[in-house]
Amino acid sequence: MKRNTFYLLTGIVVLAEVGTFWFSVELERPILIQIAFILGVLLLYLARQRVDERREDERTAMITQKAALRTLEIFWVIFFALSLGSAVVAFSRPLGLRPPLPGPPGTTPPDMLELPFIGGFALIQMALLSLMIILYVGFRVYYARKYGDWDTDEEQD
Amino acid sequence: MKNRIKVYRAMHDLTQEGLANELGVTRQTILAIEKGKYDPSLVLAFKIARFFGVAIEEIFLYSDTTERR
Repeated sequence: MKRNTFYLLTGIVVLAEVGTFWFSVELERPILIQIAFILGVLLLYLARQRVDERREDERTAMITQKAALRTLEIFWVIFFALSLGSAVVAFSRPLGLRPPLPGPPGTTPPDMLELPFIGGFALIQMALLSLMIILYVGFRVYYARKYGDWDTDEEQD
Repeated sequence: MKNRIKVYRAMHDLTQEGLANELGVTRQTILAIEKGKYDPSLVLAFKIARFFGVAIEEIFLYSDTTERR
């Protein structure tokens, strides 16, 4: 498989995932997008292994490793800080370890998390994942540049 | 670390692409090594030396002033 074919396939898979996400929301069936996402990633992994043109060697592997390590070094701090904040919020609510505060007379505190709260948590997760991808791509570009990925010389057209 | 890959390539009338294909790496890696931006692994250094039929010290010249990466 040629590299451009792989990129085309990637675009098709992304479009299919977006469509499946919409379909999943319409049908209110989260399992659809979850299965479709895993299948899509598997398909792209398999397709990537069949790309003809050699693009990976010890230098590119080192660039990938360094970018991944730097991403992890920053990401875990942000993730931990956010998790600590979430833990404080969780423990401040009736479902937490603290006993619920007494409400107005004649009312009872809620005994379960409300759905909008769970939706907000999903959005925070997506934002964190996006941040991780942005960090990784940024470091990947930085190290690729540092180790001569875009250097040219007299042999280049 | 300095190296003389470019000299040996010229002696063997090889392009960067040709050498890269022989060694199983990308052309950008050969270019990065020649420009001193990337120090190859010991395995790759030995492969390069063996390919040109010389000792590793003939191609790679270690110096203490190498910038730490």
